[in-house]
Amino acid sequence: MAQLDSEILAALKDIVGEERVLTDPESLQYYGRDWTRFYEPAPSAVVLPGTIEEVQALVRLAASSSLAIVPSGGRTGLSAGAVAVNGELVMALDRMNNIGDFDPVDRTVRCGPGVVTEQLQQFAEQQGLYYPVDFASAGSSQIGGNIATNAGGIKVIRHGMTRDWVAGLKLVTGTGELLDLNRGLIKNNAGYDLRHLVIGAEGTLGVVVEATMRLDRPPRDLAVMVLGVPDMTAIMRVLAAFQGEIELSAFEFFSELALQKVVAHQALQRPFETITEYYALLEFEQPDAAAMERAMALFAHCVEQGWVYDGTVSQSVAQAENLWRLREDISETITPWTPYKNDISTTISRVPEFLAEVEAVVNENYPDFEIIWFGHIGDGNVHLNILKPESLDIDAFREQCGEVSRWVFEIVQRHGGSVSAEHGVGLLKKAYLHYSRDPAEIGIMKQIKLAFDPHGIMNPGKIFDL
Amino acid sequence: MKVLVAVKRVVDYNVKVRAKADGSDVDLNNVKMAINPFCEIAVEEAVRLKEAGTATEVVAVSIGDKACQEQIRTALALGADRGIQVETEGAVEPLVVAKLLKGVVEKEEPQLVILGKQSIDGDNNQTGQMLGALAGMPQGTFASEVVIDGDKVNVTREVDGGLQTVALNLPAIVTTDLRLNEPRYASLPNIMKAKKKPLDVFSPADLGVDVTTHLTQVSVEPPAERQAGIKVEDVDQLLDKLKNEAKVI
Ligand SMILES: Cc1cc2nc3c(=O)[nH]c(=O)nc-3n(C[C@H](O)[C@H](O)[C@H](O)COP(=O)(O)OP(=O)(O)OC[C@H]3O[C@@H](n4cnc5c(N)ncnc54)[C@H](O)[C@@H]3O)c2cc1C
Ligand SMILES: Cc1cc2nc3c(=O)[nH]c(=O)nc-3n(C[C@H](O)[C@H](O)[C@H](O)COP(=O)(O)OP(=O)(O)OC[C@H]3O[C@@H](n4cnc5c(N)ncnc54)[C@H](O)[C@@H]3O)c2cc1C
Repeated sequence: MAQLDSEILAALKDIVGEERVLTDPESLQYYGRDWTRFYEPAPSAVVLPGTIEEVQALVRLAASSSLAIVPSGGRTGLSAGAVAVNGELVMALDRMNNIGDFDPVDRTVRCGPGVVTEQLQQFAEQQGLYYPVDFASAGSSQIGGNIATNAGGIKVIRHGMTRDWVAGLKLVTGTGELLDLNRGLIKNNAGYDLRHLVIGAEGTLGVVVEATMRLDRPPRDLAVMVLGVPDMTAIMRVLAAFQGEIELSAFEFFSELALQKVVAHQALQRPFETITEYYALLEFEQPDAAAMERAMALFAHCVEQGWVYDGTVSQSVAQAENLWRLREDISETITPWTPYKNDISTTISRVPEFLAEVEAVVNENYPDFEIIWFGHIGDGNVHLNILKPESLDIDAFREQCGEVSRWVFEIVQRHGGSVSAEHGVGLLKKAYLHYSRDPAEIGIMKQIKLAFDPHGIMNPGKIFDL
Repeated sequence: MKVLVAVKRVVDYNVKVRAKADGSDVDLNNVKMAINPFCEIAVEEAVRLKEAGTATEVVAVSIGDKACQEQIRTALALGADRGIQVETEGAVEPLVVAKLLKGVVEKEEPQLVILGKQSIDGDNNQTGQMLGALAGMPQGTFASEVVIDGDKVNVTREVDGGLQTVALNLPAIVTTDLRLNEPRYASLPNIMKAKKKPLDVFSPADLGVDVTTHLTQVSVEPPAERQAGIKVEDVDQLLDKLKNEAKVI
């Protein structure tokens, strides 16, 4: 790939204006990386386009000068997708944050890629509607980034991933061509649905420059229940029992160790005195008294079966929020331990076995590692976190964790799971892609990339190397 | 020692309330209701007294229509022993509530009555004080600490400029402030047990109280919308605006 020379720099400024091209060290550092901290950012420049035409012109310029582009959203990604380590041009879409053209009949709204996820949630609320994709970084992440990573979050069990809410999108490909994909249609069996290739492509097929997002009706009076369960097998039984009768909008889990850390560091109350190995957090609508009656009966049933030892249910919105914090604050709470993190999935039924195998191999080899489990268990998605023992220095810890990764991915492979449940591959998991995708599949991915991006300028080196 | 706690059903305090279009009242249609947060603190305090062996029985009382039994059940799930509902229709003003509570106090003869310092819907901050006057009981309001000491109760109050501690002869009235305690979650087994605890219903007539209201609500309107902020170009412009527009410096 080419580096930036003064000629290209001048051409960039011609397209977006002098002040929209940043080359100062602070900006390069700031725009050059996402939430991950493993790579030293080294972009050559940052551009901030304001229109689709500007994006097209920038991509054409990059294509003709063999300059690589890293599309950049809210930079909250956890897989080093929006990281520029090789002198790439960072294209930050922050300025393209218009939201409008709301259609109450279609229940869709048109968003620029730079619309912040929370902005869309609030827009929906103002229309008396609801945008259900939600997670802890929604205050900073952008719709373009959410689409590029097919972000999931805490409501997937009921509402699916970002993919399920994209009614249409516009993409500038690696040649600067503008594709208008699906145009908000619900039914469109006229050929391949390229939209779904773009979703989750982590910016390797082009730049998402506009999206038509679907909205839903708002939930009615959400109740949050936290249950104490003795083991993972019991959690799965509880999930099956509740899902048989209640439409759950969340089914999360966390371990006792995770709870202890959160309670100690966030000044939160334990949900109840009883101590159990794991906790399940359930959320469901209670439009009428009958809904809660059903949930209480299910609770009683689970207790009788020995799957649940204790539990609580929110009596107010404040309590619901505080119970959610027991799960949502874990990530932030354990940050000081510079944890090793992994986001993996298997089919729901295989989770207990999977978890046990990972624990066994880690405990056997590194008995002083503290393992913290939590995640979207109702989707078969677990977040594995290992805290750095105080006695170990960070480099030694990272090295040992590299070994842990291989074991974990081997177990993932044996269970037919995914090395990345919802955070994508980026640079971070590139070396491990083969544990859950076979060579033929990866081969076709590369051909698809070349069809969209023949010059290989769109976020090169992410997901796989060509 | 018997403790009586008052609990009120109010709009959940996290709900953004809206005025009805005709401005006659707050729109309560399909709005989430919950126990008044200060009453929740009152229940917690009573239950802690019971757990400490100081109180022998905790009775939760609520005044309202049938729906308020839900909040009585919550109090029972938190640890109250039995409930009393005084069934009324429509809005009841603080003086009427105080009179009805006085009726309950005469029936139950508690040593301690704990109420919230105010309810978050009307924000009246009157009921506990009026009950004190009507029942001829001493009152310790805005309590941040309650210590039973023989036939006295020491109440630490949050007042302007600091803390004040008053000693009251029992029977007495305490109203709770936010920092008195942190209420627990109701456990599911306790919620189930609460369904079987006794709950008696009385009418105002049973207590000999006339519920005629003396207050008329004239109108309800939302607060003025906040103006959007602006971005200033530089420090000089900021100073200029603070001086000449906002006139704060
Ligand atoms: C505290 C925390 C909690 C999180 N929780 C979850 C969770 O529960 N579920 C979940 O799925 N994720 C979660 N994430 C990660 C999640 O992937 C991101 O939050 C989000 O989807 C990324 O959006 P972003 O705008 O920040 O993208 P960025 O990080 O800026 O970019 C992500 C990828 O998208 C590409 N990209 C960005 N914009 C565009 C565009 N317009 N066109 C083409 N490509 C583009 C980038 O090149 C990069 O490859 C979490 C992150 C944090 C920090
Ligand atoms: C009375 C009637 C009512 C209908 N109503 C609807 C409706 O309401 N909604 C709707 O969506 N459709 C409807 N259809 C059309 C619908 O597409 C088909 O009924 C059905 O989905 C096609 O299935 P098939 O097995 O008959 O496929 P075929 O007609 O045999 O094949 C359809 C296509 O699929 C390909 N194909 C078949 N099998 C495979 C395979 N194993 N692998 C790869 N490609 C394969 C074929 O090459 C062909 O391109 C209707 C059809 C009729 C006759």
